[in-house]
Amino acid sequence: MIDYSKRRFLVIDDQAQARDALRAIAQTIGAFSVEFAANYQDAIYRIRNNTPDVILCDYLLGEGRSGQQLLEELRRFNLLPDESVFMMVTGEQSYEQVVSAVELVPDDYIIKPFSPDKLLLRLDRIAQRKAFFGSYYREKRRQNYAQALAILETKKQSEAGRPYRFEILRQQAEVLLASGETTQAEQAYRQILDQHAFPWAKAGIARSLHAQNRQSEARAAIDDVVRDTPHFFDAADLKAKICMAQGEHATAQAVLDEVSRKTPRNYLRKRLLAEAATLNGDSATARTMMADVISNDSMPGAIAPADRLALARSHLQAGDKLSTEQLLLGLRDSEVQNFTLDDQASYAALLALCVPEKGRARFSGLRPALLDTALSTPARIDVIRAALGLNDPKLADKHAAQLMAGDEAKKIFGNLRALYALHGREVDFRELQKQAALQRIHHEETPPAA
Amino acid sequence: MQKLLDVLASGIHDSKNQLFLAESLVAAYENQHQADLGEVRFAIENAASRLSRSLAAYRLLRDGAQLAIVPVIIADLVDEVALAQRAHLSKQGLRLALDCPVVDAWPLDRDLIADLLNNAIQNACRYARQQIRLSARLDHEILILRVDDDGPGFAQLPPASGIGLLLAERIASLHQHQGRCGQLLLGNDSPLGGAWLELRLPT
Repeated sequence: MIDYSKRRFLVIDDQAQARDALRAIAQTIGAFSVEFAANYQDAIYRIRNNTPDVILCDYLLGEGRSGQQLLEELRRFNLLPDESVFMMVTGEQSYEQVVSAVELVPDDYIIKPFSPDKLLLRLDRIAQRKAFFGSYYREKRRQNYAQALAILETKKQSEAGRPYRFEILRQQAEVLLASGETTQAEQAYRQILDQHAFPWAKAGIARSLHAQNRQSEARAAIDDVVRDTPHFFDAADLKAKICMAQGEHATAQAVLDEVSRKTPRNYLRKRLLAEAATLNGDSATARTMMADVISNDSMPGAIAPADRLALARSHLQAGDKLSTEQLLLGLRDSEVQNFTLDDQASYAALLALCVPEKGRARFSGLRPALLDTALSTPARIDVIRAALGLNDPKLADKHAAQLMAGDEAKKIFGNLRALYALHGREVDFRELQKQAALQRIHHEETPPAA
Repeated sequence: MQKLLDVLASGIHDSKNQLFLAESLVAAYENQHQADLGEVRFAIENAASRLSRSLAAYRLLRDGAQLAIVPVIIADLVDEVALAQRAHLSKQGLRLALDCPVVDAWPLDRDLIADLLNNAIQNACRYARQQIRLSARLDHEILILRVDDDGPGFAQLPPASGIGLLLAERIASLHQHQGRCGQLLLGNDSPLGGAWLELRLPT
């Protein structure tokens, strides 16, 4: 039996009466310290500043936010240690459909009304489970993935692990995926599917295949999930990423547009929508989305230089040089100096394109580094765009050749071709494409080194 | 149809929130005054279950219904049903015996199955003399969840089909594994002397 008087509770609900009700129930099982959060921001603030032991969170938080979205952000930004308990509280039976489908799940959910005894029973069980997985959580947190997997394997074989066999398999698959063992991750998810066709496991297979660049198979898998579980929004995000990798940018944008309307405050999704719109040539949507993200994503530290550069890029693509200039010159020099090389490359390239007299020197200064370094895909495209505009075919062709030879060739093919066409260099682009294809064939025919 | 379902679901959701407020007030009163108002809370939870069941019936009896399948530790499920029922049964002078040698987790719709078992025990409670038994076991890759009682048995078999039974049969048949469907069976030859209900789920 756990002494809940020493545990810190956080109750998250936008309705005052409901908060009082949850506190009364928590006090009945012995809780002494019960804090309240009345909205999403307040919840994030309290969790970051003083991590609670037990979170009781209502599913509906008002203002277009849900407890599920809160949970997803907490997990993605690593704000919640595995040892803390996140219990979703809901009167909505529809939440069961969500929790049975999605990849990011709370420790448990409980349907209102419920007795203090039932909450106690559920919390005790979660505590038992967390104690069982304790050593694994520690290794996972240190990113000792091999050790974490070894612990899970031992637990899987143990008698005490029998009640948790699905959770063990799920954790194995997730760790394999996180550590880049994508083929093994796929196998682990297939093992789960042998037991039951969980949507999250099917999505896991699609994710593993996507990471292996087996896009058509990934697409077939994720299409099924999106069709069968339309409330599994992350599956729609994954479908969009796969579509983009296949060069189907219009489909990616349409998929994201639909889910984004249902989750108006999900800014990671809006970033993805902006990316799809940019690739799809819809700079108006990309601008609207990135402007929304930058003004409204209030997750602490959420707005990265890459976000501002994405907005600048979409301004430029829309032909609005003035807004591009204002945004880029609005960034402080000290800030720009601390950018990663990728972001510095994009910054210099975009500035050179919108205000050549101010940007050209910076871009030329970076040129030696740009010629010698492998950049991220968005940075490469910015560099190619600027290099073509500044009549520097060597720099443009070098990055274009590398992109065409890489895993994202299909994703960026249409955009690159359009850029080259804009400068009357279609023939050169076709030659680059041919070289990349030959290189690929040569690469595939070369037996791997023994 | 979907719109009507949304309206119903929203109304039921609001009602359950109100019932939760009521239950929390009762719990707080019990806590402050060391009182036992378990029967009040039981009635509140029963009202909520009936609302949920009506919504579930409306949703599941249509085509294309989907379950919410999650891995469930069977011993936990049995304990939870016992927790919901035991105090009320003991007020009626009835004993609830448990028998659950199943250690593993199995994929099933936790809330629907729990409600089905709660409802079966409630029905048994109306006829049982002294004892009801809730048991779980595995038999040739079938998970069997069973409620026995020592009452006079069903007056007729199969019994007149009410919404509860119809829903239970539907829940059973929606649980499928490798082409096999779950089944609901009823009988009158329980070892306890009365009726029995068996939910057989393929695993």
